[in-house]
Amino acid sequence: MTSQTLKQDASADTEFALRIDNVSKSYGAFYALRSVSLNIRRGSIHGLLGENGAGKSTLVGIISGQRSPTEGTIYLNGTEVAGADVRSMEEAGVFLVTQEPMIIDHISAAENLMLGIWPSKGGFVQWRKLKADAARMLKGSGIDPTVDAGRLNAVARRKLNILRAMFSGGKVIILDEPTAALTVPDRRQLFDFMRQLKNDGVTFIFISHYNDEILEICDAVSVLRDGALAGGSEDIASMRSEQLSELVLGRGLVLFQRERRSFESEPVAVSLRNVVANHVNLDRLDIRKGEIIGFTGLPGAGAKELAKAIFGLNRAKSGTIGFDGVEGSSLPQHPKAAFDAGIAYLSDDRRKDGAVGHLLIAENIALSSLDRRAVFGFVESGKEASLCAGYFASMGIKAPNAEAVVNTLSGGNQQKVCLGRVLATEPRLLILDEPTRGIDVGVKQDVLRIIDELSKTGVSVIIVSTDTDELVRAVDRVCVFGNGAIHQTVTGDDITTENLRRLAQA
Amino acid sequence: MSTVMTSTPSKEATEKTSIGMHKAVGWILHNVVWIWLVALILGFGMFNEFFLSVMNMQNITVQATVLGMLGLAVALPLLVAEIDLSIPANLGFSSAIGAIAYADWGMPWFIAMLVGVGVATLIGFFNGLCITKLRMVSLIQTLSMMIILQGALLALTQGKTLTNLSDGYVWIGNASIGGWPVMPLIMVLALVIVGIMLKMTVLGRSIYAVGGNPLASNSAGIRVDRIKIITYTIAGFLAGIAGFLLASWQMAITSNQGSSYLLYAIAAPIIGGVSVFGGRGNVVGILGGVLLLTVIQVGLAITNVPSFYVGMIGGFMIFIAVAIDAVRVRYFA
Repeated sequence: MTSQTLKQDASADTEFALRIDNVSKSYGAFYALRSVSLNIRRGSIHGLLGENGAGKSTLVGIISGQRSPTEGTIYLNGTEVAGADVRSMEEAGVFLVTQEPMIIDHISAAENLMLGIWPSKGGFVQWRKLKADAARMLKGSGIDPTVDAGRLNAVARRKLNILRAMFSGGKVIILDEPTAALTVPDRRQLFDFMRQLKNDGVTFIFISHYNDEILEICDAVSVLRDGALAGGSEDIASMRSEQLSELVLGRGLVLFQRERRSFESEPVAVSLRNVVANHVNLDRLDIRKGEIIGFTGLPGAGAKELAKAIFGLNRAKSGTIGFDGVEGSSLPQHPKAAFDAGIAYLSDDRRKDGAVGHLLIAENIALSSLDRRAVFGFVESGKEASLCAGYFASMGIKAPNAEAVVNTLSGGNQQKVCLGRVLATEPRLLILDEPTRGIDVGVKQDVLRIIDELSKTGVSVIIVSTDTDELVRAVDRVCVFGNGAIHQTVTGDDITTENLRRLAQA
Repeated sequence: MSTVMTSTPSKEATEKTSIGMHKAVGWILHNVVWIWLVALILGFGMFNEFFLSVMNMQNITVQATVLGMLGLAVALPLLVAEIDLSIPANLGFSSAIGAIAYADWGMPWFIAMLVGVGVATLIGFFNGLCITKLRMVSLIQTLSMMIILQGALLALTQGKTLTNLSDGYVWIGNASIGGWPVMPLIMVLALVIVGIMLKMTVLGRSIYAVGGNPLASNSAGIRVDRIKIITYTIAGFLAGIAGFLLASWQMAITSNQGSSYLLYAIAAPIIGGVSVFGGRGNVVGILGGVLLLTVIQVGLAITNVPSFYVGMIGGFMIFIAVAIDAVRVRYFA
C-alpha cells in the first residue's frame, strides 16, 4: 500500500531520477550494505566514493539489477523497481558501464554501438540504417564509425561504451572507475564529454578512487564506508579533498610523504648505458643505492618502455646494466634472466600479467622465486610456507589466510600479493609500473610506505607513474620522458604537481 | 522492533542450514566422478554378479591402463591451456616403429622398445616446438600431426597387422604375479610420478601458473615456451609407453592401432576435472575419469546389452557425468 502512495509522489518523480531507500544486503550474518539511502538528482553527476570493500560494487550491483537487496527499495522516476533483473533495469534505462570496456575489437565502432540491437528486417541486418544511426550517434564524439574498434584508444573506447548505453535508452548511467588507465588529457576529454551529455539530461553515477576527480566533475557526492553511508553532500562546492578522505577512511588520514634527500654521496648501485629498444634510446642513467627514482611522461614517450626493456619484457637491441660499479653486462632478454640478475618488475595491469588469479595467495607469492627455494627441482614446502607467511604478514594482506584464492581479493590486496611476489626474489633493483593504480587511498599509503622502507635497506627503486601526486610523495628524483629519452630531470623541492604536469605535456 | 528481533535468529538458523546443505551438495558434486563410478559398479553388479568379481576388477584395471596413460598424456597439454590430439596416433605410430626395429632391423626387443618410445617423445617435442616457436595453433597443428601419423602407420604396416613381437616384448602385457596382472602397476607408477611432479616440483607449479595466466607467468620469470615444450614432450613419452603397453597386451599392432582411443583419451581427463581452459585438474580426477569410462565400456559388454545399443548408452553415461560437472561449476564452484 505504501509503495502505491509513494509511486504518486509527484515532486520526487520529477526531481530525482533514482532514489535508493533504506537498502540493505546481507550474506548470512555479514552485511555488505546496511540501510543505505541515496537520492540521485536528475541530470546530475553523482559521485560514489569508498575504499575497496566499502560496498560500492554491492550497491552498484543492486542498482543495475545484478543483485537483489535483502531489504529496502529502489525508485526509478518514482516507480518502485526493487527485485528487478539486469534486463528490466536496462529497459527502464539504467546501465552499468564497467572498468573493462565491453568492446569487440575486430568489428567496426558502428557495429559495436549496435551489438545485439542491430536494426533488422526479417532477420537481415539493415546495414544502411545501422551506419546512418551510428554516424548520427557518434557525431561530436570524435570517433570514426567505420574504424575497427580495436584501433580506438582507451578514451574512445570508454566513450563508445557510454554511447552504447545511451543508444540503448540509458537515462541513468553508472560509470565504474571510468578514468582508470586514462592519461590526463584523455581524462579531461572524457569529462567534457560527460558534461555535454549531462546537459542533454543524462544522469551519471560516477565511481572513482580519486578525490580530485570527484571534486572536478561531480555535482553531488556520497561516501560509503563498511557498507554504510558515511556522509556526502548535495553541493560539491562545499567539500574539500581532506573532508572526502576523512569520510572514506573514517579517521584523519595521514598521507604518506617520503623524506626526500640528496643521494649524490651514495655509491652508484645501478648504471644503465646506451640502451636501445623499441621506443627507447637512452645514453646513460645512474641510480644510487637506496634511491627511489620516478619515470613519467605521456604514453609512448619511453618511460614504460624503458622499464620493460630493463626487465627483458621489451627486448633491448643493445645496452648494458651494471651493478655496484662493476662492468655492465647486456640487458636481460627474458624476465627470468632479469630476476636472476636481481632486477624485479611489477606490471601496471595485475589482472593481465601480474597475478595468476585462480591460484592461492601463497602460490602467487612464491611464483617468481620457486627455483631458488627448490632442491633438485622439488619445492621445499617448509621454507616456502614460512616465506609466504612472512610476506603475507608484512604486506598486510587482508584475507582469512594465505590459502585464499587471489581472485577473491580486492584490487589493493591483489596488488600487495604481487608486490610480495617480486619482493620475494630479493631484488637489487625494483621496478614498479603504476604501483597504486586502481587501489584505494588507504592501501595506497600502505604500498608507498612498503616501498619507502624497502629503499632504506639499500634497494634502488624505479616507479613508473602518471600519477603526479604519487611521484611528489614517494620519489627522490623524477625523469620526465619524451621521444624515448629522458628529456628532463627534476630533483628536490622542484618535484611538485604543477611542475610535473607541465613538463609531461611539454 | 520486536518482530525484527524474533525474526533475525530464525532467519540466520535457516540460512546456516541452507549453507550447510549447499556445502554438502557441493562436496558430493565435486566428487561426482567417484560417486558415479561406485554407483555404476554396483548397478552393473546387480545385472551380473560376475561384474563384482575380483577377476573382473582385475580385468577393468588392465583395460584402464592404456587409457590411463593416454589420459595423463592428454591432460598435460590441457593444463597449460593447449591441446594435443595426436597422442593416440603417436601411440600407434611409435609402437609400430618399435616393432619394426625389432623384427626388421634386428635390434634386441628392449632397445627396439626404447627406440619406439624415443620416437614418440621426439614427436611430442616437435609438437611443442611448433606451437611455441612457430606459434601454430595447437588444435590444428596436432590435428594435422594426428592425420600424418595415422597415415604413416598405414604406410609402415601396408595395411597388415604386425604380430612378430618377441616374448620379452609381450611379457608385461600378459604377466601376472600371484594372480595379479602387472600392467596396471605401470599406470599407478605413472600416476604417482606425474602427481608428485605436478604437486611438489617447480615444473609442476609452473605448469599450473602457465595454464592459469601465461602473461603473468612470463612476467613472473617463468619461461612459458619452455614449460609448454616440456609438457608436450612428456605427453609424447607417455604416449610411447602407452603404445608399448597396448602392443604388448594385444600381442599385435594393427594398421589403425590406437585410433579408437582418441575421444576417450580426451574425455577421461575432462570428466575428471581437468579444465580445457588450463590451470586446473589433478591426477586423482584423471584416474576417476579413466576408471569411469572403462567401467562403462566393460559393464556394457558384460551385461549383454545388444551391441547396437552399447555406443549410445555409453555416450549417455558420459553425457550425464559431464552435465553433472557443469552444474557443479555453475552453482557450486
